Amino acid sequence: MPSLPDRLRRAARERTERWIRRRQGPDRDPIELVRNRIYILPTPLGLTYALMVFAMVGGGMNYNNNLALGFAFLLASLGLVAMHHTHGNLQGLQLRLRQARSACVGQPIRYGLLVSNPSARARTRIEFALGKELASTIDVPATGEAEAELTVTADRRGRVRLERFIVATRYPLGLFRAWAVIHPEYTALAWPRPAQRGRTPPGAPGGRTGQHARGSGDDDFAGLRPYQPGDPLRRIAWKTYARGRGLHVQQFSGSAVVTHVFDWDSLDPLPIEARLSQLCRWVLDAHERGEPYALRLPGAGVAMDSGPAHRERCLAALALFEAEGARV
Amino acid sequence: MSERAALLPALGWVLLALGVATLPHVPHLPVWVTALLLAAGAWRWLAQTQRWPLAPRWLRTVVVAAATLAVLFTYQTVNGVQAGTALLVLMAALKLLETRAPRDLSVLVFIAWFLAYASFLRNQTLSQLPLLMASALLTTAALIRVHSGRSVPQPRELARGSGQLLLQAVPLALVLFLLFPRLPGPFWGLETSSSARTGLDDEMSPGDVSELTLSDEVAFRVRFAATPPPPQQRYWRGPVLGETDGRRWRHARGSAYPPQPVQGLGAPVDYQITLEPHSRRWVFALDMPAQWESTAATLAYDYTLLAGKPVTEVTAWQLQSYPRYVAGAELPPSLRTAMLALPAAANPRAVALGRELATRNADPLAAVRAMLRMFREQSFEYTLQPPKVGSNPTDEFLFTTRQGFCEHYAAAFTVVMRAAGVPARVVTGYQGGEYNPYGGYFIVRQSDAHAWSEIWLAGRGWVRVDPTAAVAPERVNRGLVRALPADESAPGRLRESNRLWGSVTLGWDLINDFWNERVVRFDTRAQLQLLERLGVRNPDWRALGYALAACFAAFFLALTAWLAWQNRPPRLDPAARWHGKVLRRLRSRGIERQPGEGPIAVLERAAETAPDLAEELLEIRDLYAALRYGPASDGATAMRLRMRVRGLRP
Repeated sequence: MPSLPDRLRRAARERTERWIRRRQGPDRDPIELVRNRIYILPTPLGLTYALMVFAMVGGGMNYNNNLALGFAFLLASLGLVAMHHTHGNLQGLQLRLRQARSACVGQPIRYGLLVSNPSARARTRIEFALGKELASTIDVPATGEAEAELTVTADRRGRVRLERFIVATRYPLGLFRAWAVIHPEYTALAWPRPAQRGRTPPGAPGGRTGQHARGSGDDDFAGLRPYQPGDPLRRIAWKTYARGRGLHVQQFSGSAVVTHVFDWDSLDPLPIEARLSQLCRWVLDAHERGEPYALRLPGAGVAMDSGPAHRERCLAALALFEAEGARV
Repeated sequence: MSERAALLPALGWVLLALGVATLPHVPHLPVWVTALLLAAGAWRWLAQTQRWPLAPRWLRTVVVAAATLAVLFTYQTVNGVQAGTALLVLMAALKLLETRAPRDLSVLVFIAWFLAYASFLRNQTLSQLPLLMASALLTTAALIRVHSGRSVPQPRELARGSGQLLLQAVPLALVLFLLFPRLPGPFWGLETSSSARTGLDDEMSPGDVSELTLSDEVAFRVRFAATPPPPQQRYWRGPVLGETDGRRWRHARGSAYPPQPVQGLGAPVDYQITLEPHSRRWVFALDMPAQWESTAATLAYDYTLLAGKPVTEVTAWQLQSYPRYVAGAELPPSLRTAMLALPAAANPRAVALGRELATRNADPLAAVRAMLRMFREQSFEYTLQPPKVGSNPTDEFLFTTRQGFCEHYAAAFTVVMRAAGVPARVVTGYQGGEYNPYGGYFIVRQSDAHAWSEIWLAGRGWVRVDPTAAVAPERVNRGLVRALPADESAPGRLRESNRLWGSVTLGWDLINDFWNERVVRFDTRAQLQLLERLGVRNPDWRALGYALAACFAAFFLALTAWLAWQNRPPRLDPAARWHGKVLRRLRSRGIERQPGEGPIAVLERAAETAPDLAEELLEIRDLYAALRYGPASDGATAMRLRMRVRGLRP
């Protein structure tokens, strides 16, 4: 049971968060950090600074010393100028949501953000945080862009929605922290955790087609073709790449086209999550080998195909199988 | 380890800021404190560059305990500027031993700020201004560096960033300085400053004044309301020395003689005297002071004007004096006895000379003239470097060496007068002063320090007699440098001989005077005067508050506007501007530019999505392409593009 101050603090924080959400409404891409949604408060360092300046003003009056007093006033003024600069360091930035990179349970899901700075003033040390946890810090050049990333590690498969994150900065003097709360519409998927390797996919009807006479057909090198995203890494002709001729993929003639059908029913005695994990493992492995596959699930299925888009579709089907969304 | 690597560039800046802030304290600090800071700084720097491990915890604990004890032992206190500074420097040294995170560096920057502040408490002359600026620039740069993290700004960028912040801070700082209500301190005890300052003392041995005159420091500045009195009337009265042991002259302390009134003759002189701090109570008023701020100063029985408390800050006094006067027409018997007292065994020949003068001259004034004639006509020399004299200094000076500075002449004259039965005493102070034509005021320096005599004559009271004037009239009329032999070095000789250098020093003094008058002495009264000059009738603290609030608001608005202007998007060329306008208009048709979509492509896509606009959009595309990528932008194309965009009605 948390202590009373803790509970009060948390209640206050939740209240503030609700108020901010009500005040701002949901955010739509692109999100511009306009003036009235940037909040600013002194940091502990800033409070110490204020105390120091107070003591200096008092001392200057006590000793009737105008130079000391002037120095104290210069520091007081410096603090206020720094406050404006901290606020200005955030103001006017634009955030765009990139495609989130889904991942398996236990792996980090990456929510990419494109931060653009339309102004002629470089922005230093922009922090991105999930709750209290600092996720990444970036600098955005003048009239330029930079990428930030928020990572979430899901512990359950399904839809993972990034509900709220914080953009903040303490630059230049660290005396103030300006921040904006963002409520994006930003979801990604947590795919099932892949099972251990070992279980081979069962031979399904039509599981293997085409020539499969010469076993592993990777021997007969037939030539190179340009790399396309999604090609298995181990087929890349690294030697060619090293010679500076660009990324190419080795092609083999006569290699057997092995195809699979990964079927829910073939894993009959296993519980639901174990089946999904196993199917996930097969999908990932088949994709890595570059073999076409189909997925059969109760009430759903993905037809035979290959490539990254196909893999995404299959993994999404697995992630969302009888699942409700999770929230971050 | 990576954390420490990230600290590296900031550490250099912090050490630099700390060093500059400590520098002015070094002469006042015990050597071991400075040494400890240097050692800690060097060690921390090497720990960073050589990847040494940080100090173990037990070592830090031992050093903290030892240092605190040592400060307590040295100063017997941890309060006050002296002990406080030593403690701050030690804290900085100890913090360096355990600096591992950016927060520790911030603490060090705070210590540097406090150190700079402490040095202003110690001394607020104009010479501190460069330190203030350097300190502010470096500490701010260091703090920016601490908070710019991984991105490594160039030193020049840092300096510019820091300079920009400070420049923007200056207006509000000025406003605060001018308008922030001053509470008259002190609220808590001020330590009595133990630091010795150059200046007159209430004791005088042969050689003291001549040593003092080697200093070129300003003692005070004087502004006369009307015509300044001639040099032979410019005697600035300091401590009066009435007791002697034969060698040394002392101010008679604790004697309660009834004060005798001063009666002015002729026209009084009004003037303002601005004293540099000298830690004593003397207000060096012109002979004889007649009017002063009665609450702040008192006139002693020997006509020395005394401030209510030691002068530790620059203070100004509005005074009125009578150059011609009758002071102390009556001489109380106890004072008469004291002013005739001579030690029994000392200076027998001088005493004999005095008695002889008394028997030969019935009129004391005739004795005075005879004595002065002796100085003038016999081979007496006026020099800053007289030979050393022994236990009977007056005898040796009068009859053997015959070389002396003003204190020798004043002391000898007073001894002889007392022996002749004329009540006499030594008066120290300053004489003359250099006129600064740029500022219209007189500068009186330590090198103008002087000693003369005062004798009491029935019916005329205390009369000033300057035996130096008999030997070296130039000293009184034209200053020390003109009075000394040409081969003798003296302060101000270069000023005197090189006219350009003379002008430079006078100009510099004018700036210092301005600093004293306008900055150091700025107070509540000056604040209210300022408001009055700005048109506020009968200003009070409430008016100060309103003015302050108004300035704050204006400052915040200006800063916000400046930042908004800084944050504005850069101005686009006309083609891009009109293209943007097209995109904004297309938004109503649900056409948005996709990330990564080129300017031409989006127009083409729009033409496909909205066939009714296709013709116009494609023409806009062509015009845009021509303007943007064509050989030379011409006005006609820009005009057509503008018309097309304006005509676009989605």
